Amino acid sequence: MNYEDRIVTAFTACAVFWAVLGMLAGVYVAAELVWPTIDIGLPGLSFGRLRTLHTTLVLFGFGVSGLIATGLYSVQRTSHVRLFAPGLAWFVLYAWQLTIVLGGASIMAGWNAGKEYAELEWPFDLAIAVAWVSFGIVFFGTIARRKMEAIYISNWFYGALIIVVAMLHIVNSLALPATLGKSYSLFAGAQDAVVEWWYGHNAVGFLLTGGFLGMLYYFLPKQAEQPIWSYRLSIVAFWAFVYTYIWAGPHHLHYHAIPEWVQSLGMVMSLILLAPSWATMVNGIMTVSAAAKKLRSDPALKFIVLSLAFYGLATFEGPMLAIKSVNVFSHFTEWTIGHVHSGALGWNALITFGTFYFLVPRLAGAPLYSARLANIHFWLALAGIMLYVLSMWGAGVSQGVLWLSLDELGEVRFSFNDVMAAMKPYYLLRFVGGFLFLAGAVLMAFNLARTFAGRRTVTVAPPPAHAARGLA
Amino acid sequence: MNFLSLHRKIERHSGLLIFGILVVSSIGGLVQVLPIVLDDSHSAPAAGLAVYSPLELEGRDIYIRESCSTCHTQQVRPLLAEVKRYGPYSRAGEFAYDRPFLWGSKRTGPDLARVGGKYSDAWHQVHLLDPRAVVPASIMPAYPWFAERDADQGRTIAARMRTLRMLGHPYSDEDIAAAPAALEGKTELDAVTAYLQSLGRSMQGAPQP
Amino acid sequence: MPARFSIFSLVKVLFRPKAAFETLATQEPPATRVFFGFALWIGLLPPLFAYIGTMNFGWRLGVEPVFLPQRTVFAISAAYFVALLLGFLTSAVIARWMAVTYDASQSLGRCFALMAVVGAPLAIGSVIHLYPHAFINVLVLVPTLIWSMYLLYRGLPVVLHTGPNRGMLMASALIAYLLVAAVSLLGVTVALWGSGLGPLIGT
Repeated sequence: MNYEDRIVTAFTACAVFWAVLGMLAGVYVAAELVWPTIDIGLPGLSFGRLRTLHTTLVLFGFGVSGLIATGLYSVQRTSHVRLFAPGLAWFVLYAWQLTIVLGGASIMAGWNAGKEYAELEWPFDLAIAVAWVSFGIVFFGTIARRKMEAIYISNWFYGALIIVVAMLHIVNSLALPATLGKSYSLFAGAQDAVVEWWYGHNAVGFLLTGGFLGMLYYFLPKQAEQPIWSYRLSIVAFWAFVYTYIWAGPHHLHYHAIPEWVQSLGMVMSLILLAPSWATMVNGIMTVSAAAKKLRSDPALKFIVLSLAFYGLATFEGPMLAIKSVNVFSHFTEWTIGHVHSGALGWNALITFGTFYFLVPRLAGAPLYSARLANIHFWLALAGIMLYVLSMWGAGVSQGVLWLSLDELGEVRFSFNDVMAAMKPYYLLRFVGGFLFLAGAVLMAFNLARTFAGRRTVTVAPPPAHAARGLA
Repeated sequence: MNFLSLHRKIERHSGLLIFGILVVSSIGGLVQVLPIVLDDSHSAPAAGLAVYSPLELEGRDIYIRESCSTCHTQQVRPLLAEVKRYGPYSRAGEFAYDRPFLWGSKRTGPDLARVGGKYSDAWHQVHLLDPRAVVPASIMPAYPWFAERDADQGRTIAARMRTLRMLGHPYSDEDIAAAPAALEGKTELDAVTAYLQSLGRSMQGAPQP
Repeated sequence: MPARFSIFSLVKVLFRPKAAFETLATQEPPATRVFFGFALWIGLLPPLFAYIGTMNFGWRLGVEPVFLPQRTVFAISAAYFVALLLGFLTSAVIARWMAVTYDASQSLGRCFALMAVVGAPLAIGSVIHLYPHAFINVLVLVPTLIWSMYLLYRGLPVVLHTGPNRGMLMASALIAYLLVAAVSLLGVTVALWGSGLGPLIGT
């Protein structure tokens, strides 16, 4: 039986759709920080709700759809077997997209659980859990049915994504419903804070890092036509990664009302985390370098390789910001926002874009509609990211130092309002950066749509079973 | 059996892989998170901490609805400049009745942990309806619908208080029964103002550093 | 482009980078000449402009200017100079180290020259430090930085003879290093400010 790839096409299309819509929401809220009245009095467009919509759409719409698309594509090919329970996979598609659509609408209407990156209320938490478990069944079922003896490393990362995010989501969403759209967290105050950032940091760790590393480990060697540079390094890096990331959450709570030992432990583990993070980056860079002689000029590869550079930046900046003497300045400022977006745009979005530029022509059985547009996209994306990150670094460091500045009498020197007003030009520059990034994404959507136009997903058969490599 | 040969087994057995991931990823939470959650000292209310009144609770739930935590924190750090600017630094016991916690992660606007009593009700009302009327350079959104909507339009205050009581908040039967009447004639504006005025009050009168 | 790579080549480097790259592809300037004859001098510009600007106008972060004692400003400017030189040297040396992997030219002098050409726009753009308004500096220097990144992608394959694909890979790897170096500079800077080398703060 052939691989089930129509589901990959469907999830890819959804991912591209949510990328554009989610980034549009992002650009809109960036504009609201410059021109606050453009919410035109509509509660649904109000900054607080729209920002929540933005994070929900980009993380759970774009990010998850992209991960499921690439996960289902790669698990079949690394297992040499057709997807397990394709009907269940289609259920996941519809259930997930419906959850995002209705969930997004609920946020605009004011349903909000009040915890960052977990704002969807309890009915959606349940729906997410059902869809997620179903995805796990399809994914691990395919692995269980594999014709290859060993489970390839990309599947370890996607697997860790599935298992750990399930654990995090279930615990952090524990709440008692009061009405259909309102629940109260099981945890309160300081305890809730520790649980939330155990979840929040590891949502970054396993969704935005782990899952996308799975993407990297499959699509990079595929593109480069070269196996991963060091297998041993990948094993050590994987387990160190899964172990260490979980501890880093409290670096979001430095100088907060939680025990000192928890803060310090979070800081130390965040620093240790640099090692497994960079081990993977090195593995990726060396893999591509080894293949350097035989590469064709390919926009997809440009995106994936540059994403590794931003991965290196973000996974270095994170531990650095976790150091208390740096965190004193950076906490609560725009620097954090800059860090988030160097990772989200520079790593997650770029590697997904590169993967889609590789994947969609293969799904369509046709070459990419325009390599030139893809190259323009590359420069729009890079310019957008640099404008975004550097304006936020400038703003963040300014805020940090100005908030802490004392005069000669030892009193605070600058009023909060004055510092806030000084941020406006940076917000404008960030809006421009985000706009450029969105423009590039729109070009990509057009390019991929034209590549696929009028075609059906190509069907491909797994290679014939090899008695020597196969399972008994 | 060395590490590599153990791993040969794990990567050939999906059940072992799943189990391994589950165990390894649980350790951090078990050591770091679980003790905090089980230790009551982190959830014990500070002396003098009052549970949220129905009006304040309604205001808090509106604050959450509008995602005010996106721009406003509620956590004064024990740093000299911060304490000078906002007041005494935040202690865990002040947040015993905060479900969920609203410490926030970003200060686009000022920290609100000690805003209670700093401005009059009238100031808050003008500010919430149009921030630029009192702070010309403000980028805060306006909330004109607060004045147009009655507090607890969905008539759910009793259900919400009952749920909180199940979670340990000290609401009596009389408190819950009297709640709808307490919100009679109030708008969302009154509720949010009341909530803001409640912030940090348990520490009022505490010595400055 | 004159046969010798020196400070006098600055105009050519800024306004005709393509010609500069093509000339460098055929030359092997000694690394010492690139450093002492060119990089050191253009690297002196940003800290010099920053010192003059800060002493005259103070740090303008969008509120009232912050004036610092002369000793502090001098120390910060000197540290800035050292950081720039270190950044330049390490980038060039790392490029040379990567050359083996990417089958690039192994001339250290060429690596120095490439990084000098790539960094020159930023060194000249740093004239904006004469008015140390943080946002205006960001506004001028970020597009300059994007231009420098573009020069790196365009110039590396030519100067180091890698061909387009390997050149793209190596340029991305260098950018990875430069991004990390930049953010480290930020972190070290604020940590130093926290220890007293900088504005008066209350932590």
